[in-house]
Amino acid sequence: MMAAAVPPEFGPDAGGRLKGVTVVKPIIYGNVARHFGKKREEDGHTHQWTVYVKPYLNEDMSGYVKKVHFKLHDSYANPNRVHNKPPYEVTETGWGEFEIVIKIYFHDPNERPVTLYHILKLFHQGADMALSKKTLISEFYEEIVFQDPTQYMQHLLTNVQPVTMAPYKHETDFEEKKVKSYQNILTAKTKIKSEITDVKEKLKKAKEAIAKYKEEIAKAQSGSMAESPSLA
Amino acid sequence: MGDVQDILGLERPPTPELTKEAILGSSDKLKKKQMQMSTPKVSKRPEGMPREVFALLCNDSKGVPPVFPTDTGQGYKQTKAKLGMRKVRPWKWMPFTNPGRTDGAVFHHWRRVADEGKEYPFAKFNKKVPVPSYTDDEYNQHLQTTGWTKEETNHLIDLAKRFDLRFIVMKDRFDKEKFTDRSVEELKERFYTIQTTLTKVRSTSPPEGKPYVFDADHERRRKEQLKRIYERTQKQIEEEQSLVTEYRRIEARKKERDKKTQDLQKLITAADSQSENRRIEKKLPKKKLQQQLTRPRVDTVAVESTGIKFPDMKGSGVSVRSQRMKMPANVGQKKIKGVEQLLQELGVELNPMPTEEICTHFNELRSDMVLLHELKAAFSTCEFELQTLRHQYEALCPGKTLDIPVLSESQTVSSSENDGGKQKINLEIIDVVGSPGTPNSSTHLN
Repeated sequence: MMAAAVPPEFGPDAGGRLKGVTVVKPIIYGNVARHFGKKREEDGHTHQWTVYVKPYLNEDMSGYVKKVHFKLHDSYANPNRVHNKPPYEVTETGWGEFEIVIKIYFHDPNERPVTLYHILKLFHQGADMALSKKTLISEFYEEIVFQDPTQYMQHLLTNVQPVTMAPYKHETDFEEKKVKSYQNILTAKTKIKSEITDVKEKLKKAKEAIAKYKEEIAKAQSGSMAESPSLA
Repeated sequence: MGDVQDILGLERPPTPELTKEAILGSSDKLKKKQMQMSTPKVSKRPEGMPREVFALLCNDSKGVPPVFPTDTGQGYKQTKAKLGMRKVRPWKWMPFTNPGRTDGAVFHHWRRVADEGKEYPFAKFNKKVPVPSYTDDEYNQHLQTTGWTKEETNHLIDLAKRFDLRFIVMKDRFDKEKFTDRSVEELKERFYTIQTTLTKVRSTSPPEGKPYVFDADHERRRKEQLKRIYERTQKQIEEEQSLVTEYRRIEARKKERDKKTQDLQKLITAADSQSENRRIEKKLPKKKLQQQLTRPRVDTVAVESTGIKFPDMKGSGVSVRSQRMKMPANVGQKKIKGVEQLLQELGVELNPMPTEEICTHFNELRSDMVLLHELKAAFSTCEFELQTLRHQYEALCPGKTLDIPVLSESQTVSSSENDGGKQKINLEIIDVVGSPGTPNSSTHLN
């Protein structure tokens, strides 16, 4: 963050960007879905769902996000839904799962939009009757990384307002999940590492053995040659 | 070659010297010719005439086409032989003598009158091989050897004169009853030693050129070899051929193996450098670090690191973190599948939460997985090679086995106990090294 204090270099080379500065904005995206309980007569829809993008921290995204573009399945009337202010969400009814393309645009046109892909989820895994009554949540943690942001963008990113004064919580406990998967990965890594050392050790031995055999064979060959030259 | 030259009485003609001038001179002439050829008269295209039509009329360098046919040449007709244009040269039946003959016999033949009195034209083909002769004195002084009597030598020289050094014939006509049966090599050897000794003795000036030396021993061995090749049976020939093909196959396999070993070397180097870097980074327990450092380092020439190379995403701009965990496009489908399976076995999600540290470690984990896979593959090739070598060794020294432990899991010291001769030395060394710490060995030392 030292670089931020230094007067930023402007001009074609710097591109008006603050070199060495990285701002990370964690977000949550996904969908909730609820079963009607029965198939609707008029169109055969079975679920109501809401796809959304929201900040992971208690920060108002509209400070730096200009708009969010949700691209739904082509079978929907006007599948391109654009939201200029929060909440960034689309509520619809339907009967099938499909991929939703979410594009996030920023206030500074110099920063290119980022794209997320979310598979809309309606059905519980394993079709459990007890579960199917409940609301289904399928949401993911993501981080938007602003590498060398423009001065304008950096200003917007650092001056964000809280969304609410109340404690800000999510349906999924991502903090716990974060720690757990980090631990999982580390354990797996150690295991793989030790296996690598193991195999490497074995490899070394094998190579030594091969060298030894080659030497012995060479010896044996020259020996047999000396004993019976008529064979040569 | 020497024999042929001797028989024909030929001096080897000096090869014409290739000089720069000779080559350049001719090429100069050629150039001039080409210059003349390449300046044909260029006729101009009349205005208004399409280029294609003009090209039809005057192709190449023929110039303006003729107005009416001018084909007055012979075409494909052969010119007839023109006979009876010269005066007849008369022939005559006449006697002649052949100077090649010693008896001066007179024969008759038809000959042009103009050629009457000239020498018999084929006489020049009667070449005599100069066969050396010696006086008794010379023989006694220089030519005496064991195994050859003077009589026998005389017989040999006589035969050489009679048959113009055709040694095969000479061997056939050699007097086997009076003397022993001599081989062609023996005859040749005796003859050429006589020849060279005589020229050496007689010549006052230093000899010109190299005297012909007949290496009888070499000749004998050569013939022996030829005879052996000739006398092979069909079975032997087949066996030899199969051996040759087998040899080629072995060579090819060896090459392949060498290549694999090189790849393996690269892998090990890559693995070493990678893990070393990371270990130092993470400051793992000293013991491991030391172990790492004491290991003999293989050449650290810039070797391509194996595993997966993830893009480092250092460009400025906005991006989504999960993008960094995406498999690069150059990683094969098979590898990706393998990694995914391994991840599932280890209970790691395929798409973990993309925080910075998870991202880094997840990528490293997957890279290590690929590396492990490659190492395992390399190890199995090594095992295969070892198997082959073991069979080879057992074939060479039946009954003996070189027990070098590799395939067993816990193998370091214990398995070298059941080894023969030279392995014992090894064992002792290991024992000595290992002894100071163990209480057992201290009593043993006392």
